[in-house]
Amino acid sequence: MLRQHISRRRFLATTATTAAITIVPSNVLGGARHTPPSEILTAGLIGCGGQGGEDLNTYIKAPGGDYKLLAACDVDETRLANARKKFGEHVELYTDWRRLIERNDIDVISIATPPHWHALMCIAAAQAGKDILCEKPMTRFIAEGRAVVTAVKRYGRVFQIGTSGRFGAYKSSRSRRIHKIMRSGLLKHCPAVYIHRGGFPVLRYCGKVNLKPERVPAHLDWDMYCGPSPLRPYHPHRFGGSHRFYWDYEGGSLADFAQHYVDPFQWIYGKDDTSPVEVEACAAPAHPDACGVWAWVELKYAEGLTLVLDGNEWGPRYDRKEPRHVELSDLDEESRKKVEAMPDPEPLLWFAEAVKMRKEAGGHVEASHRAVTIAHLANIAIRLGRKIRYDPVKEEIIGDEAANRLVYQPMREPWHV
Amino acid sequence: MSISEQIKNLIGQIPGPDEGGSYANLDMNNIKQIEKVVVQLHKGGRNSALGLIDMLVEPGKGDDIKARFALHLLAVHITRKGSEQARSEFARAVASQVGGDRPKAIQIYLIEQLQLAGTKEVAATLGKALLDRELCDPAARALTSIRDGAAEQLLSALPNVHERQRLSVINSLAVLRAAQAADAFRQALRDPDPDTRIAAAWGIARIADASAAEVLLKCAEAHRGWERINQTDACLALAENLVAAGKRSKAAAIYTYLQRTRTELSERHVYETAERGMMTAR
Repeated sequence: MLRQHISRRRFLATTATTAAITIVPSNVLGGARHTPPSEILTAGLIGCGGQGGEDLNTYIKAPGGDYKLLAACDVDETRLANARKKFGEHVELYTDWRRLIERNDIDVISIATPPHWHALMCIAAAQAGKDILCEKPMTRFIAEGRAVVTAVKRYGRVFQIGTSGRFGAYKSSRSRRIHKIMRSGLLKHCPAVYIHRGGFPVLRYCGKVNLKPERVPAHLDWDMYCGPSPLRPYHPHRFGGSHRFYWDYEGGSLADFAQHYVDPFQWIYGKDDTSPVEVEACAAPAHPDACGVWAWVELKYAEGLTLVLDGNEWGPRYDRKEPRHVELSDLDEESRKKVEAMPDPEPLLWFAEAVKMRKEAGGHVEASHRAVTIAHLANIAIRLGRKIRYDPVKEEIIGDEAANRLVYQPMREPWHV
Repeated sequence: MSISEQIKNLIGQIPGPDEGGSYANLDMNNIKQIEKVVVQLHKGGRNSALGLIDMLVEPGKGDDIKARFALHLLAVHITRKGSEQARSEFARAVASQVGGDRPKAIQIYLIEQLQLAGTKEVAATLGKALLDRELCDPAARALTSIRDGAAEQLLSALPNVHERQRLSVINSLAVLRAAQAADAFRQALRDPDPDTRIAAAWGIARIADASAAEVLLKCAEAHRGWERINQTDACLALAENLVAAGKRSKAAAIYTYLQRTRTELSERHVYETAERGMMTAR
């Protein structure tokens, strides 16, 4: 029987205090500009490419916390060698992320691989009792997200997605007011139209349709790279940043950027626990492998709120509706008074604080899943070239069985969600 | 003009990719043109599908960009509401080309189209493909997407497949929550391959097989590292599913066992999860 619940950090705190009797280094008790070792998070990094390590700095170090990187993993040995130079000799290197997950001395897993791996790694990290920093986009398809939410909640882990737009939104009094109006439940029909225009590299994020197979470089474990996605013949364009331009690994400019742009919208409009019910896209017919061009996507919520993602790089500009925010004047006088009397929402917690307090981080798992669902729904409408209707509770597309085959996409063995 | 020439002419109207190899060059006029081509292919029915398939080549062995694109667009087109007959005809036409002498890379592409547009009528063809080492995993995934009739094909293939193929089949049965695979899952818990054991444990959890709880707990207990993490998760998922099915005492037994055995600091999160779970099982 476990007599007492002692966390690894509390355990370290106890032993550190004991050690202080004889040593008393200045940092043990957390003097000025020092984080006590009991509060230094130990971290493992999966994916040592461009974003590798960035989330640890943004979500732990920048807000005043500290971490020590113990392990790093990548399927590319060249990147691992670079990681050694960047992070130091003490960092243990792995080519199979499962070995890193097994370690008992890691508090936080930072995931910066291509997105087709994100869900599996998040789930495994939660199962192993780690807290999670996951690069955006959180997942590659909708059902993965629900599986991540289940795992994170099952084990009571802290999760933060690698985008922070909502933290900025919280600072705006107008955003907080809209948030309160929406969360009050007093607005029966929402007339707002939120248009995010531009910022999607639509043309640059098109995949190639003429890839000729090439020899796999000796430093790369291509089978492990493909992982849960189909094992395609190797081509360098499927790897190293341009992986984003293929459905197997991500989903083009929409998948790569929408989570950034939707994150503040979703918080402002109180949509962290639901999804749009109707999605329509203007796009070119989609290739089965390579992502292509799109003009705009219109997504409607059940109570009338409209979200538009306008690529603004290709095709016609979205002109069905004009942008419009929700205002207090949309409410009757009695409702207005009630909203004005509402306290501000609780401040959003940065990851390091959330870990310390064992509370939900600002970019928590359900919010993140719902945000990336928007990108996935948009891409499903694009891939099928038709309007879709979505049930945000069952998380299924209504009356379109083929579309649901993109909501859940079976993985290559041995992987599953 | 022969049918193949007609199809060749039709897909000739689809623009080629730009110099960089992408379709970033398409404009709204091109799109209208492509849509017209797809409608014509749709009208061509089975012959269109077979004609396009004949134009496919192995990756790197020629230019089949337009045929490949057109076959996929046709597959998407016939999944629209009201195209049920065309869908069935398309699926049967594509399935008729799986299992023959065509290069495996082409057959895999065809199976991927069935994964999107296939119906229960092609389940038997995919069932046969499970027996082929290279086609097995794509076929298992296609069956999983089709769902209707899939579990029967997977179960029927199971005695004749080994190693990675066996893993694909067990994994897909687990995805499908195939209750009729309960015995197969229990057997696979003793498989020499750890990935197969993990997939089987997951299957047991998903079908909420209370009778396998004890063997699953023992299996989780017997391993370390990655497998223990996964098997333990399956135990917890099984308990949750048993609670949802109203079998609270069975779930409570799992939670009690995990609380008794997960006493190391490194498994504190499991202990706590079981503790929380126990509240729901009472």
